[in-house]
Amino acid sequence: MLTEELRTALEAKIAGAAHPQEYVVDVLFALQDHYGHLTDEAVAEAAQLVGMPVVAVEELTTFYPFLYREPVGRYVINVCDSVVCWMDGHESLQNHLMERLGIAMGETTADGLFTLLPVCCIGYCDRAPAILVNKKVYGELTPEKLDDLLETLRREAE
Amino acid sequence: MPKLTIDNRSIDVPPGTKVIDAAEQLGIMIPRFCYHPALGSVGACRVCAVKVLEGRAKGIKMSCMLDAEDGMVVSTTDAEVVDYRRYVIEWLMLNHPHDCPVCDEGGHCLLQDTTVSGGHGLRRYQGPKRTHNDQDLGPLVQHEMNRCIQCYRCVRYYREYTGYEDLGVMGIGRRVYYGRFQDGTLESPFAGNLTDVCPTGVYTDKPSRFKGRRWDFERTPGICIHCSLGCAITVDARYREVVRHEARFNPFVNGHFICDRGRYGYPYASAAERPWQAALDGQSIDGPTALQAAADRLTAVAAEHGSRAVAVAGSTRCSLEAMAELSRACRGQGWRGPVFFEETRHARAVGTAANHLLSGPAVGLPAVEAADLVIVAGVDPVHEAPMLALALRQAWRRGAAVVIVDPRPVALPFDFAHRPLPPGAIGPWLEGLGGAAPVDDNKDQDDLGRRFRESDHPVIVAGTDILPAAALAQAADLAAGRVAAGQKAGLFCILPGPNAFGAALLDEDHDGLGQVIADIESGAVKALVLVESDAAWRYPNQARLANALARLDLLIVLDYLASPVVEAAHVFLPTTTVYESGGVFINSGGRAQQAVTALRGGRPITQTGQGGHPPRVFEPDIPGAGQQAAWAVVRALAAAVAGEASPGDLSPLEDLGQLHPALTVITPAPLPPEGLIVTGGFSSLPTEPEAVASDAGDAPGLEIVWTERIFGSEPLAARAPALRELQETPFLLIGEGEAAAWQLADGAMVAIGAGEPPWKLVVRVVTDMADGIVVLPRLPGWQQVVLPDGRLQPEDIHQRS
Amino acid sequence: MTTTYPQILFQNRHADRIATLEEYAASGGYEALRQMIAGGDRAQVQAAIQEATLLGRGGAAFPMGIKLSTVAADAPFPRYLVCNADEMEPGTFKDRVLLHADPHQLIEGMVLTGFAIQAAKGIIFIRPEYENAARILEREVALARQAGYLGEKILGSDFSFEIDVHRSGGRYICGEVTAQLNALMGKRPNPQQPPPYPTESGLWGRPTVIQNVETLSCVPHIVRNGAQWFKDLALTESGAGTKLFAVSGHVNRPGCYELPMGVPLSEIIEEHAGGMRPGSEFKACLPGGASTQFLTRQFYDIPMDFDSLKKAGHRLGTGAIMIFDHKTCMVAATLNLMDFFARESCGWCTPCREGLPYIRDLLQRIERGEGEAAFIPMLEEMSKYLWNAYCAFAPGAVSPLQGLLTYFRDEVEEHITAHRCPFQASGSGALDNRSQTD
Ligand SMILES: Cc1cc2nc3c(=O)[nH]c(=O)nc-3n(C[C@H](O)[C@H](O)[C@H](O)COP(=O)(O)O)c2cc1C
Ligand code: SF4
Ligand code: FES
Repeated sequence: MLTEELRTALEAKIAGAAHPQEYVVDVLFALQDHYGHLTDEAVAEAAQLVGMPVVAVEELTTFYPFLYREPVGRYVINVCDSVVCWMDGHESLQNHLMERLGIAMGETTADGLFTLLPVCCIGYCDRAPAILVNKKVYGELTPEKLDDLLETLRREAE
Repeated sequence: MPKLTIDNRSIDVPPGTKVIDAAEQLGIMIPRFCYHPALGSVGACRVCAVKVLEGRAKGIKMSCMLDAEDGMVVSTTDAEVVDYRRYVIEWLMLNHPHDCPVCDEGGHCLLQDTTVSGGHGLRRYQGPKRTHNDQDLGPLVQHEMNRCIQCYRCVRYYREYTGYEDLGVMGIGRRVYYGRFQDGTLESPFAGNLTDVCPTGVYTDKPSRFKGRRWDFERTPGICIHCSLGCAITVDARYREVVRHEARFNPFVNGHFICDRGRYGYPYASAAERPWQAALDGQSIDGPTALQAAADRLTAVAAEHGSRAVAVAGSTRCSLEAMAELSRACRGQGWRGPVFFEETRHARAVGTAANHLLSGPAVGLPAVEAADLVIVAGVDPVHEAPMLALALRQAWRRGAAVVIVDPRPVALPFDFAHRPLPPGAIGPWLEGLGGAAPVDDNKDQDDLGRRFRESDHPVIVAGTDILPAAALAQAADLAAGRVAAGQKAGLFCILPGPNAFGAALLDEDHDGLGQVIADIESGAVKALVLVESDAAWRYPNQARLANALARLDLLIVLDYLASPVVEAAHVFLPTTTVYESGGVFINSGGRAQQAVTALRGGRPITQTGQGGHPPRVFEPDIPGAGQQAAWAVVRALAAAVAGEASPGDLSPLEDLGQLHPALTVITPAPLPPEGLIVTGGFSSLPTEPEAVASDAGDAPGLEIVWTERIFGSEPLAARAPALRELQETPFLLIGEGEAAAWQLADGAMVAIGAGEPPWKLVVRVVTDMADGIVVLPRLPGWQQVVLPDGRLQPEDIHQRS
Repeated sequence: MTTTYPQILFQNRHADRIATLEEYAASGGYEALRQMIAGGDRAQVQAAIQEATLLGRGGAAFPMGIKLSTVAADAPFPRYLVCNADEMEPGTFKDRVLLHADPHQLIEGMVLTGFAIQAAKGIIFIRPEYENAARILEREVALARQAGYLGEKILGSDFSFEIDVHRSGGRYICGEVTAQLNALMGKRPNPQQPPPYPTESGLWGRPTVIQNVETLSCVPHIVRNGAQWFKDLALTESGAGTKLFAVSGHVNRPGCYELPMGVPLSEIIEEHAGGMRPGSEFKACLPGGASTQFLTRQFYDIPMDFDSLKKAGHRLGTGAIMIFDHKTCMVAATLNLMDFFARESCGWCTPCREGLPYIRDLLQRIERGEGEAAFIPMLEEMSKYLWNAYCAFAPGAVSPLQGLLTYFRDEVEEHITAHRCPFQASGSGALDNRSQTD
């Protein structure tokens, strides 16, 4: 269920719009933040908010990589695997992450903290290899830096 | 007119013609998947590639996206473009599961055909295939996504063409998926067309699943008889059973598509409870004996009470052949009738409509699609004439305004204006629109009237189910007035039943079965011949019907449907369905169309062999066969009564002009595929205008408007098991004020009427409805409700919960 | 020693912070807007852009002036301006750097362009990975509005113009103009082949102009300093203005550099990007993002402007230069690129949706040592036929493959004949532990 506060805020955002559909992705991001991921309920609520058929919203949630229709961990780690990061050792970085977290790409750790997802070039090629953690960039990574980062995130979560 | 050359042959085509269509006119069938004439071009599949050798842009181009240009030279056989198309086919086959041996589409699969004709015979791709989970899309359509080639036809058809919103494209790249948000029945009553639209086996016909391949079927051109539009279908039969309907293209009626009632309505023909055998006083007996007994008894009644003591009633699902023979029998024997309509008001309304259609600006569905303003009076399109709803949507997509003038809440898959007027007020409203005098200083009426007068080709659609005859005359006058004023105006009517037009022409007295019942009650009628009549389904007072039938000395019933009247008959004579005998039906536009005999008759093998091999009993006849077409039975009966030899081979379509001048065009020769328009010479209607029920304000209670439902009202399709799953719970629609006064809450379950078991309804409180009415559906059970004056009182509603 | 050039777009660039509105104004910012608004001459803005031969910096190099002129004088209102800040072309990060350096020149560029075409609203379409930039833009747009450069009756004139920041849900295809318009309208971001062109019927069926961030950021400078000044910034006759080169890969100083159009590739690598990394030798580069062809040693000194590359059969694209050293397996690199494109294909048309995964599969087999000689003609044919896809995505996608087959055919053949990757050590079997993540 949406909180009254969030619903009002979203309705206010959409209210003045000549074309509420323009805000569908914004609404989906907001609901995703609220629920953790886009539940069936969230998709239906988004559809209702922007006045689109629910399947038309699902057409978008399944298109965009940053909209999650399945539960994700508290920290979504997107590992860039495009060509510049690849040149600069994305593969060993990714292997390191999978090993440290004990999960494969696309999976979430049992404690619900981390989800590993591939991402294509994130536009930080000058700082390759790079990853995103909840859309925040970390670049010029090494296994050591990664370990530190994971540690920090774990501590932050506590 | 651009003149272009395709594969060294030249052709002139109208400007705007796509090269793919120009080639087709030359007989060159360029492969296509995403392109569909009804859906237009989107250039997605890329298999229609041709090479432009001369033209503004040369090289490989998609012929579906390419406008024909003057002087253009196109090759479909150029080596490079053939190679390109070969690649496209190979790409489309990368993920295909190659499950053709178990796929219902096998044998009529566009992908299969294109793959073979494109020369792609060897698989080179060694990588993994993408796979999908399927969804349960309900009882009509089977989903099998692994076969998908992502042509986007399904979603374009479903969302753009039909306007329903529960099918979509999910995913991206090679994972593109077509389906619903969640499993569940497709909401569109036109979903069955997906099985025709899909170029491969993603959407196949569920009720006929695994019943055969197309080459196993006897396929014949048929006419849908589940409403008055008369859409073209192809009938697929196998093992003495109709197993599938497909839509058949008819540019004058339905275009490419049909509705789900029409597609899935056929199982009545092979229903286990179908009465295959003649009966005399409840005992099965052979046909000739039963016929002779019927003749003898009829003769006896006529001898005792006079020939006018014999009445004849058919129905609007009778073929023109049957109607003609009924008419001849009555004229020859001096019997009463025939009547074809259950209620007199329908006889009058349809008669009036037919009269004006014969002489006025009658148009067909294509003109509705092309209209720029459509006024729909007294019709709920989806439920009374489903394909009309799609035609209206196409008009709307092209920018037409659609105005529905109807007391009921109406749902349509597009935007329209709704004027909820009571049935009696619609005629005067239409008259007001004609410009004579604005009703009530109504500004809305003024504006609409102006738009109406200014539009180029307005069409008036009028329904005969709830409108009184006078309103149909007013609708026709409105259209005729605009034609006189130089506009391309048209009139389109919706009639009750597939041959209601024919019935109106052959209906002698413009009375309904109600009059016959009154005559039975008064003792004037002693014998009744009911021919393929839906009295037990459509007559609104079953108790009265049953009482009347019980008073008869003789009840003879001819039919192929099981019903209470069959059971009540003294003599029952089985008849054939349209599949077994074919027949001519005149659709609501006055177009006589011919269904061709699709199968020989007899019990289906699934019944005679219990689903296995047919029984190894050697008989000369087909088990269960021996029924005759109603027209032949009626003719034989009349001849036996007259003591004459039946006129054997003479076609019932001979000399139709003697029965009605408009029918002169129809002869025993096969009708042309597109049918024939009947026209001219109709004036046998009683002319005094019918009194409009205007005292509604004072009478107690609420006026009942009985309404058709797409599934469950029409008696043939209502017997289809798959469609029964889609039937709604019966409902009572009531306005907000009335609901409050009567203390009815939305969603409450109530029962009404005195029938047993009581007819249960769910209350729906609505706002977009005329004042002073309630709406009740003609769904099974409605016949039990005895409300003699057509009005509902609070005390009629009981068992509130 | 590094040659220095005039910094225009980067004149207010600071190492670690964003230029403020005041700094931008102090450097002459919003002056052009003031002049134009005061003069009220819309045609003048357009004329300046046209004369300056400002070519689109988003990859397609279409002249912005010509695009503006296709908005008919009597075109309906409201009209829209969209700033393409999607920047999902692999290797490209110039727009990000630009947005973080000096956002107000984009805002001014948008207002000026909006003024030229009488648009009512501008929308910045930004990829989700640039959340930080999106926030910066929202903040600076609000400041510009406060200062009267934006909103109702700008600087007291009768011109009103709003800017909205629209966050994308991701996906490379959203950078394509028509797909972006669909995305903005809440539809699936499939491209839509013209006609109608967006300048006739774009967003909500209204005339819409879409330009890249860098293109729009050039506008205030052109309007303020004149077309000739802009043209003179280039080193070559065929070029005009400066270009932001985003350099990455095996160089010492990857980064974004503002250099004159026409600067030689070798100079960019050796001087500005600090030369090849120790132990690395130049083997090839992609000159303008993933959807361009490999430039080999033979093009080492080519002047980097749109025209020169076009003449050489190449494309400058976005000017994102990715440099590969001699230890890089070009089959594996191309495989990585094909994997990107196969995953990002929007799925609308067959050649791209099915052809790219097919190509990826063949390359992967070759890279694993399972390749067959017959694969090469298949790859060649498919790379040719993908040009007959629905939109420009697919032709771009096969560009590196065509480069591979043109310039590194021996390397491909070696994989096949030796049944293994000759560069085993450096990233062989690039997709092994991803097993096709599309
Ligand atoms: C697949 C594809 C992706 C594109 N991505 C971008 C992008 O991310 N940013 C961009 O500015 N242009 C991108 N473009 C180019 C745009 O289609 C368009 O040419 C450009 O935004 C127009 O602006 P400009 O003329 O200022 O460059 C892309 C084109 C294609 C075909
Ligand atoms: S070429 Fe690719 S991205 Fe473009 S329409 Fe076709 S599938 Fe979509
Ligand atoms: S039929 Fe032309 S592209 Fe599909």
